Order: sequence, then structure tokens, then C-alpha cells
Amino acid sequence: MYIEKKKLSIKDVQRISTFTSIILFFLFVVLMFAFWNVQVLKNDYYKSLAIKNIYREIEIKAQRGLIVDRNNDIIAENKLDFSLFLVRKNIKDLEKTIKFINIITNIDKKKILNRIKKYKEYPESYSIPIKRNLSLEKVIYIKSRFDEFPGFKIAIEPTRLYPYKKIGSHILGYIGEITFKELNQKKTGIYNLGENVGKIGVEKQHEELLRGTKGAQIVLKDNLGRIQKVLSEKNPKIGNKIVLTIDWEIQKYIEEIFKDYMGTVGVVDLRTGGMLALVSKPNFNPESFSGFLGRDEWNALVNNPNKPLINRFLQGLYLPGSVFKIVMALTGLQEKIISPSTVVNCYGSVKIYDRIFHCWNTSGHGSMNLYNGLKNSCNVFFYTLGKKLEIDIIAKYAKMLGFGSRTNMGLPNEKVGLIPTKSWKLKHLHQKWFPGETISVSIGGGMLNVTPAQVLLMISTVALRGNMPQLHILKRIEYNGKVIRKFKPIFNQVSISKKNFEIVIEGLFRAVNDEGTGSAAKVEGLDICGKTGTQPIISKENPSYERLIKIYRFKAHSWFASFAPRNRPEIAVVVFIEHGGDAGIVAAPIAAKIYKKLFE
Amino acid sequence: MNDYLKYFDKFAFIIIIIISLFGILLICSVSQSLDQPYYLKQLLWLSVSLIVFFIVLRIKTEFVFRSSLFLCIVLSIILVIQLVAGQIIGGTKSWIKFGFIAIQVSEFIKIPIALYIANILSKTKIIDWFIFCKLMFLLGIPFLLIAMQPDLGTAFILTSFVIISIFLKRIKLSIIFISIMFVIIGSFLSWNYVLKPYQKNRIVSFFNPEKYSQSSGYQIIQSKIAIGSGGLSGKGFLKGSQSQYKFLPTRHTDFVVSVLGEEFGFIGISFLFLFFFILFYRQFNFKSQTDREFYFVYLFNFLILFQFSINILMSIGLFPILGVPLPFVSYGGSSLLSFFIGEAIIFKIKINNYLNI
Repeated sequence: MYIEKKKLSIKDVQRISTFTSIILFFLFVVLMFAFWNVQVLKNDYYKSLAIKNIYREIEIKAQRGLIVDRNNDIIAENKLDFSLFLVRKNIKDLEKTIKFINIITNIDKKKILNRIKKYKEYPESYSIPIKRNLSLEKVIYIKSRFDEFPGFKIAIEPTRLYPYKKIGSHILGYIGEITFKELNQKKTGIYNLGENVGKIGVEKQHEELLRGTKGAQIVLKDNLGRIQKVLSEKNPKIGNKIVLTIDWEIQKYIEEIFKDYMGTVGVVDLRTGGMLALVSKPNFNPESFSGFLGRDEWNALVNNPNKPLINRFLQGLYLPGSVFKIVMALTGLQEKIISPSTVVNCYGSVKIYDRIFHCWNTSGHGSMNLYNGLKNSCNVFFYTLGKKLEIDIIAKYAKMLGFGSRTNMGLPNEKVGLIPTKSWKLKHLHQKWFPGETISVSIGGGMLNVTPAQVLLMISTVALRGNMPQLHILKRIEYNGKVIRKFKPIFNQVSISKKNFEIVIEGLFRAVNDEGTGSAAKVEGLDICGKTGTQPIISKENPSYERLIKIYRFKAHSWFASFAPRNRPEIAVVVFIEHGGDAGIVAAPIAAKIYKKLFE
Repeated sequence: MNDYLKYFDKFAFIIIIIISLFGILLICSVSQSLDQPYYLKQLLWLSVSLIVFFIVLRIKTEFVFRSSLFLCIVLSIILVIQLVAGQIIGGTKSWIKFGFIAIQVSEFIKIPIALYIANILSKTKIIDWFIFCKLMFLLGIPFLLIAMQPDLGTAFILTSFVIISIFLKRIKLSIIFISIMFVIIGSFLSWNYVLKPYQKNRIVSFFNPEKYSQSSGYQIIQSKIAIGSGGLSGKGFLKGSQSQYKFLPTRHTDFVVSVLGEEFGFIGISFLFLFFFILFYRQFNFKSQTDREFYFVYLFNFLILFQFSINILMSIGLFPILGVPLPFVSYGGSSLLSFFIGEAIIFKIKINNYLNI
């Protein structure tokens, strides 16, 4: 252009107009092209981004399946709870938000922050659970301040309810928030951080059956993630119903009579192998684990020296004590080392391998045969028998009767225990077996380690004359009223002759019904057979024995393994009391009460 | 009066009305999501603008040119008062409130400036240092005052006067060189000392919007998604998800063209462009009676073109977000009214041309 004169000529104006028109034309061509490029050529790309902006698939959590006892009594169900979530994307002022949560829920600020950090790999729009079980007042209060704290989200979620609280807590277990470790182990896409999974008990064992199938809602949302429109909805499916073999009436009854003890009780229906009751004390309230951050109660449970979270029936390892004499008797009989006519004289103690082994009755039982040896639980009789047996032979029969392996009754984290052998000792302790150790094992001492569940399995096998039942607690699985799976009773015959079982059972019968050690378990009109076991913690040779024995933690553990009726056995009961003292006085009467309740 | 009607550019006028109604339609589309009946307000502003348009059309051009310097000074003083005592609305001191109505003075000052620059240009042969300084002084003061509000967009639009002046008049080369040096030093200083973090963010994010997709790049990305997802024929009136579900920021003002692109597609955009093209073409090609009238028409039309281009380019991420409304389309009474006043003067000039020759 460069007009260099003051006055414009018509030609100048023309020139400028033409030039401007050309520029104008090109500008609009360029603009049209730019929009053509974005709108038409790249339409698919931007369309997908626009859809990504507004579409959202919202998971709908499924309700967990119910757990009922054998009589269809609901022992674990669901309730709906208000939960508070945080959506990072929408948080305006993190510090203020955390402070507000702290005021509302009393959760430590640092804990909240750590929790949010845990979700760093999740998208910004993920709802981080902060607190479950919010009261309606708090929900209303939080909702009234949504404008101030747009990061908050309140949702109704199904959570677990255990109507019987502490009763049977070790059977049911509890649900708790999934850990990173569990998240990595499980199949992806099923669980998200912040969701609950079964941690112990049936809740853990049958997690897959109980969890149900999540539903989904496809919605349109605005820029702040607020739902504008629901496009489609797939309903969640509730988990399967689990029917247990446990009879909650019996369970409740035993927990009541057992409430002052630490220990465990197992009751099994010998006709099926289904557990009728499984008590472990101390126990806990499974509902303590709901809520996300309020973990004080949880810490108290974990740090409790009495370990209430341990299921003593399956996870407690103890010396079997005199209960093991049943195994010894069967071994001796089957190996033809002894017979019912074998007689041993008990003088209160016996010297074997230059060492004196004591009987619990220091004045001696006198002349003992096998029946009376079992009836009076005479140590000397079994020392003498042990001397004639190799440890590996004893171990063979012990294992045959269920020791040294899991009962697999259907609860997680069961312990194996230990039945020592020569090769085991050499391998693990790098020592050869001493014959004196066999003598200790003969009365259920030494390196033996058994769970009360194994003792129950052993006494059940004896009751059924070698027909070993598969212990179980799962009766059947139902969905929508239809049976999906049913547990069929399984029995395995062990290779010990029936005749030998009859001999041992006679001894066990005498122990209860003929003024033996278990006579406190006697119930009129019921042929109960049983064996006591009083497993001392300290030796009588200890110089301070008289003083120490009065202290709780030095008191002997008490066992009572039993079954009834003698001839057509229906029920087996094992009672174990930590530091209960004399089993005949403490454990046997509890078994008697249970039988009375069962056969009334 | 008959002559007025005879030589009044009815075609261009209708085009302007169509473009304005286009704007009201788009504002109507997003009003619901903004919870305010902005389109009714805009309709009211359009009515006011039309009345003022016809009033200005009656004023003699001579008077308009003569009072330009006075108006420049008065408006600048108001800008100073605003800066000192104005209340902050929406983060800036751009507004003066008269009861229910808020006026943006910065939108109006461009008219007397254009008039006065046209005056200067018509009296000079070549832009020498003296003229240049005069221009700079005239432009610089309102520029700085508006930039301090802070309203960089409106201030930046004023620089279009410099560009068109250089385009029209011969300028001394030394001025260009030294100006470029000043611009470089000036940008460096303003980057470090003047610009607010959010303004810097806008510029940085322009070059890499994806990296700032959660913050300052968000607007660019969402606008591009809106336009791009509209496709050829658009999603339909009130059916644009970006517009209706609030992903588009300032969708009734700066990003109104994105609403058009989303709901009416490339076809809708093409129509808008066509109308604007006709308007520009028609307003640039005319015969003028005096040189200053010629210069004014070019200065003012170019400003509209400049603002139009920046707004459009901004919406598809080809220009940093400056917060510049689309002339005649975006919501905003002051903007609409000021453009109608400017156009009224242009229409008047075109009538004069026929009446006096």
C-alpha cells in the first residue's frame, strides 16, 4: 500500500479495496479449511473425546450373599449404610476439606491424607471411600455443605450385619477393606481399592460365592461429574446364600456356658461329618471391622494378648496330652504289641532308660489292663507300651487318624500341627531320635502338636469304628432359592480293625461311666464315651511347683474328647480349655451339658 | 429522509441483524445451562443498540470527527477513575454499574480512537517519528489503562489500529526496527514483571494444551472437542453435550462460536462465515467522500475483522485464549452497542458519499 501522499486518489482507493478483498478472501478460505479439518476430517476423534467427557459407567455394588445356619436362621446379612466418598477431581481446597472431614468423623487428618494418597493410581474421578456407617444427621449436614466442598459424595452402600454379633465370630469371620496385596492376587476388574472382601472365616473361604455380581449404570454427566441422565442400567446380582451345618441354637448355648473360659469347643454330627458348633474364645464382634478409617477397635483386637482373632479350634496348636493315649492304644492293639489281657503294674512311676517317668497318680494305680489304663488314664501303662513301640509306628497311626494334616473342614488358615518322626527330627533339628522322647509322646507330650479340630476328627473316627468322616461346615449353596451345590457326606475307612476300636471304646466308656477320669461327663440314659487330657505346663519336679501351679498361666490345659451314644454314635464333642486345670473337673462337665442340650 | 432510506445500505444492515440474531440463538441454547436468561438480556441490548444506531445515523459526520479527541480524553479519564475506585467484577475492574446495567467503558473507547487516528492519517504523507509518537500516545494510554484492569483481550484488540495504519501509510523503516526492539524488550519485561500467572498460563498452555488439560489448557481442549464433535451438520439445537453439560467455558461469550460449531456443525459455521464475509466485503468496498472517512472505515472494519479472527482462531486452538468476544454474536451489551455505534458511523459515511456527490 504505502500511500505516500496526503490526498488519496480514486486509483489508490481502488487498489486498497482490491488488495483488502483478496486478503479477506484468503483469510476466509484459511478459516474454512481450519474448521473443515477440525469438524469434518477429525470428527471421529473429537466425537470420541466428547463421548468420553459425558459417558460414565457407574458400578453398582452387589449385595453379599446371606449366610444361614442349618435351620435357615440368618447369621450374616446386609444393611444399607450411608458412606462418605471423596472425588479428588472436584476438591476445591484439599486442606479445608480434610479439616472438615476431621471435624465430622474424628478421623485423624494425617490418616485421611494417607488414604487419599493410596489412590494415586486411580483416576481423579474415582470415589475414594472415607467413612462408612454415617448417621442421617451427618449425611444431611454434609449435604448442606456440598457447594463448599464439591469433592464430597454420599452414597448408599450395602454393608454387613451380623445379628448375633460375637456369636460364632470365628466361623463367620469378617469383611474388611481389600489390601494392595489382595488386590494384586485377585482377578482384575472385580475389585477396586476401598471395597470389602472376606478376611477370615466363611466370609474369606467363600468370598467368590458370596460377593455377587456388580451391576452398572451408564449415565451422562456434566463437567463436574454430576449425573444428568441415566441411559441404561444393569442390576447387580446378590451373592449366593451359604447354608452352614452349624446349629446356631447349640452354638449360642455353648458360647453361653463357655463364656468364662479361653479355649475351644467343637461339636460334630457323626452321621454326616457336619459341624454343629465351633466355639473359640475369646471371640470378637465382626461388625467392628466396618467403616474405613476408624481402626482403633481393630488395633485393640490385633494387639490383644489373648489373640481373639485366632480361631483356636483350627489355628491353636497344643500338646494333646492324655487324649493321645487313644492313638497309643490303637497302635499297640493293631501292631499286636498288647491285647486286652496285657497287664502292667503302676507304682506311681516307672524307670525307663535310666530316667524316672511319673504317673499323674503318685501313689500308683496298681495292676492295670488296657481298659482300666484308659479309664484311669494311667501313664505308666502307656509308658510301658511306648517303650515297645517305635516313634515312626506311632506316627503312622497318628497320621492315619488325622493328625499332622489339615481337616479341611472349610475354614481358612488351618494349622497342620506336628507328628514327629525320626527322619523329621534329623531333617529339621539335625539330631537323631532319642528313645526317651517316644516315652513322652506315649502320653501326648514331647514334640507333638495338634489342633483341637484334629482331636475331634480322631475321636469321631474312633466313634465310627474307623470310618473317618470328612468334617465340614458348608451344608449347601443356594441362589434364588435353588440349590446350586450340596455337600455329600464322605467317609474313609482307616486300616485299623473294628475289633480294636471296640476295645478302645470300652476303655473310653469306662472312663465316663465307671468312675473313671471323665465321670463328670456322665449323663443319665446316654452312653457317652470320652477321654480326658490334663496337659501340665510345668513339671511336678519343679521345686516351686506348689506355688506356681496356683498362677493361671502355669495351670494345665484341659482336654475332653468324647462321643455318644456308644453304639450308634451321633455326636462327637471336643472341649479344650487353656489353663483349665484338671480336665475331669473342668472340661468333662461342659461336654455333659452339651450332650444334655443335644439329646434333650 | 427519503434519501437516507434510499442510500442506506439495507443489505449490510440486514446481514448485521442476521449475525446478531445468530448470536441470540446460540446464547439461548446455552442459557439454560447457565441458569440465566442471557438471550433475553441480549435481545434487550440489541433493541437498545438499534435505537442508538439510528440516533447516531442522524449525527453529522463532521461533528463526530470533531468530538473524537474530546471523547478519547473523557473515556480515558473514566478508565483512570475505574482503575482507582472501580469495584472488581469477575476479576477485573472493567465494569461501571448503573443500577441494573453494567457498562464496559473499554469497549467504547475504540470508536473515538479510530476517528482520531483517521483524522491524523488523512493529514499526513508518511508516518514519521512525530506522527508515530502521537499515535502511540493516543493508543498507549487507553491500552495500558485497559490492560491494567486487567483486560488483555480488549487492550490487545486496539493494536489492530497500529497494524492497519502501517498497512495503509508509508512508515519510516527505522521506526519499524526500533519498535520491534521495543516489543521484544517489552514482552520480556512484561513476562517477568507484569503478567499475572494465569495470563502466563494461558500463553504457555496454548503451545501445549494437553499438558495443561486440567487447568489452563482445559478451555482450548474443550472448545476443540465441542467444535470437532459437531461434524458436518452438528448435533442439533440444545443437543450439544459440550455446551449443555457445561464442558465449554464462557460459552455465551468468548466461546460462543464453539456452541455454533457443536450444535450446527460445519454448515452452521459456514453460514456465519459467509455472513461475516459479505459484511466485511461490503464495508471495505465503498466510495468515500473524504480521506478521513475512508481511513475510519478501514480502521474500524479492520478492528472487527481482527477481533473476529482472533476469536475464531482461539476457539480451535490456533491463537492463545485472550478473552475476546465475537463481534455482534457473543453475549455482552457494551460490545454489541459499541459495534453498532461504529457501524452507524460507517453507514452514515456511506450515505454521505451518495448524498454529496
